[in-house]
Amino acid sequence: MTRESLKNVMDISNLSVGYKKNPVLQSLYLHFRQGQFISLLGPNGAGKTTLLRTLARLLSPLKGTILIEETDIHDFLQSELAKILSVVLTDRISPGLFSVFEFVSLGRYPHTGFLGKLKEADKRSISGSLSQVHAETLINRQVSTLSDGERQKVVIARAITQDPSLILLDEPTLHLDLKHRMEVMSILQRLCREKRITVVASLHDVDIASKVSDRVVLLKEGRIVGWGAPEEVLKEEIVSSLYDFKGAIFNQRLGSIEIRGNGHKGFVFVVGGMGSGAVLYRLLTKRGFSISTGVIHENDLDCYVAKSIGAECVTEAPMEKIGPENLSKAMRLVQEADFVIDTGFPVGKLNQGNLRLLKDALHLGKRVFTIRKDEEAGRFFNADAGDLFECKSEINLLERVEDYLTTNKI
Amino acid sequence: MTDQTLSIRRNKRGMIFSMFFVLLLFSLLINVMIGSIDIPFPELYRIVLDRSTESIHGFIIWKIRIPRAIAAFLGGAYLAIAGLLLQVFFRNPIVGPFILGISSGATLMVSIVMLTTLSMGFLSLAPFLTTVAAFVGAYGAMLIVLAIAMRVKSGVTLLIVGLMIGYLCHAITSLLIAFAEQEKVKGFVLWQLGSFSGFKWSEIQVLFFFGGLILIVVYGLCKPLNAFLLGEEYAATMGVNIRLFRILILLCSCALAGMVTAVAGPVAFIGLAIPHMVRLFFATSDNRVLVPGAVLLGGTVTSLCDFVAHQLFSPVEIPISAITAFFGAPIVISLLLKRKVSI
Repeated sequence: MTRESLKNVMDISNLSVGYKKNPVLQSLYLHFRQGQFISLLGPNGAGKTTLLRTLARLLSPLKGTILIEETDIHDFLQSELAKILSVVLTDRISPGLFSVFEFVSLGRYPHTGFLGKLKEADKRSISGSLSQVHAETLINRQVSTLSDGERQKVVIARAITQDPSLILLDEPTLHLDLKHRMEVMSILQRLCREKRITVVASLHDVDIASKVSDRVVLLKEGRIVGWGAPEEVLKEEIVSSLYDFKGAIFNQRLGSIEIRGNGHKGFVFVVGGMGSGAVLYRLLTKRGFSISTGVIHENDLDCYVAKSIGAECVTEAPMEKIGPENLSKAMRLVQEADFVIDTGFPVGKLNQGNLRLLKDALHLGKRVFTIRKDEEAGRFFNADAGDLFECKSEINLLERVEDYLTTNKI
Repeated sequence: MTDQTLSIRRNKRGMIFSMFFVLLLFSLLINVMIGSIDIPFPELYRIVLDRSTESIHGFIIWKIRIPRAIAAFLGGAYLAIAGLLLQVFFRNPIVGPFILGISSGATLMVSIVMLTTLSMGFLSLAPFLTTVAAFVGAYGAMLIVLAIAMRVKSGVTLLIVGLMIGYLCHAITSLLIAFAEQEKVKGFVLWQLGSFSGFKWSEIQVLFFFGGLILIVVYGLCKPLNAFLLGEEYAATMGVNIRLFRILILLCSCALAGMVTAVAGPVAFIGLAIPHMVRLFFATSDNRVLVPGAVLLGGTVTSLCDFVAHQLFSPVEIPISAITAFFGAPIVISLLLKRKVSI
């Protein structure tokens, strides 16, 4: 199936949503395709929930139209709409004495007869939905005895067994632990990929949204500030302004939020590269060090992390040998630093310069902490190896650094 | 209660139903056999087959005891269903059939008839007049509630409006009591506590046919009622026509509660407690089980309470509301505490 042949499941044009005469969001134009995962992002109070409730026809729009499969949402009978659209809301459900099977079976409502008697096909759909959310084993449990994560999976199973082409979810990962948060997101993603269901979810987690969504809608101050593929829309500046970040930055390539350091504790130069420094950068920032680093290649993971946390970076063009110009730039920063860290980066043809940098630092009388193995350090640094402070791990290194700082009163 | 015991209980539904049914037959039987004059079973059997009302025993059986037994059964069943409907509708376990002011409306009208001299002109109609007044009061209150329900969306608002109507009626009633004669007040207080005595066959017929019709409608509402357990918004997205459903639920529950109140007075507690008992006995919230269960258990419990009411201090008859609350409240409390489940 080519992308062009996919039809729009939902078309929204010139939509204003809100309560009474107070519009929360105005002049929205959006269209959702079959099998797409669409995330609504924005700060609290941006109107994500109001929009979702309007799309579910729980709230009348103030203006504009919502077309579902090319028919106006208000032209559907309630029972017809239920076959196309199902919802997962944030209200905690307390249905009383229901087993999981009975609870999920309520989702068959639009498909069963007058008294809601379940046929074989309905039962198959119910157990199928439960296995979609990895909850087959819960089938005979009582809903009231489920944990938050299990309950949310069961609530999603109910929405699936309604057999819709569109599922609207309001903050589906709220109150969930990390394991269930990831599980719920992968369940939803699979619904899009395998069952070609369109999923529209409001999320508070930009990290996760950027990784699972096909489209994101950024909402702020009553309007759409961004709409499109997350790869295009979720730029650092846009995300930061969306949430008014201070002291943190969203890194598009890492797809994650990094916290900026404030550097009150001391000034450190990290010699890293090939991803060996990422953990140390975060650790040092967390402990309050001000970081400069080099010489790293521009496409290196270390480079993205270092820039996100606000470190001063000396960088070399990708796939180039580290040149003398950059080395002397790095050397100036080493001289300013209170101490130097060797991340134990793998040494190859391109980054021989960094070894030189470390040796020069030792000759300058700088303290150099390293995580490199004893034998390797000996091989690289020869006679100078004795001057290195060897550490077992990143954490161990941090402890030794802090000990060193307190005894030397820097 | 663990999951296992619940599913065991669930598989024994048929057994629990037959148990209730046997209990019901038993309670009907003792109500007919035992009283100020005890009538042994062989004689009862003969009288029932003969349909003779000529002997004194025949008269007692056919004109007094059977109508009363049936009335108690129907009254209990209807109140239990009315309570169940409103508990689901308001998603609130402490709601009963009289929460929307049905009983207060009836009480107000009856107090006007019984405590004032307004009815002087119709004195010959006196016993009949009470029923008419209660009927007018109950259904007047129901119409007000329905009219408001058409306009407000929130269930809580409706609940509060119902409570306020109740307080208003109650205020007027207490004014009337303050100015009424001692003798009349006693009669009024006794009416307020409900009684199933003195039923006529014509009243039973009305109760049976109209009530039965409503019960059929209620059974048809089981599916949306189940959806409603998840809340109004989920129900709407599952395909329930909320407007129609709201009106039907209110109409059915108020009609049932109003009917019973008109003929037997505001019988307390049954409508509040029976739905809980049924839920816990059958270990489910599925209304397709609860509706027949509530009919059976509501009828049985009321019928047993009525038996105690007329036997305990015989020949003095105690008001049925005293008995229902006295036995019912501890039962519900213990059931809830033992099972540690939320409704």
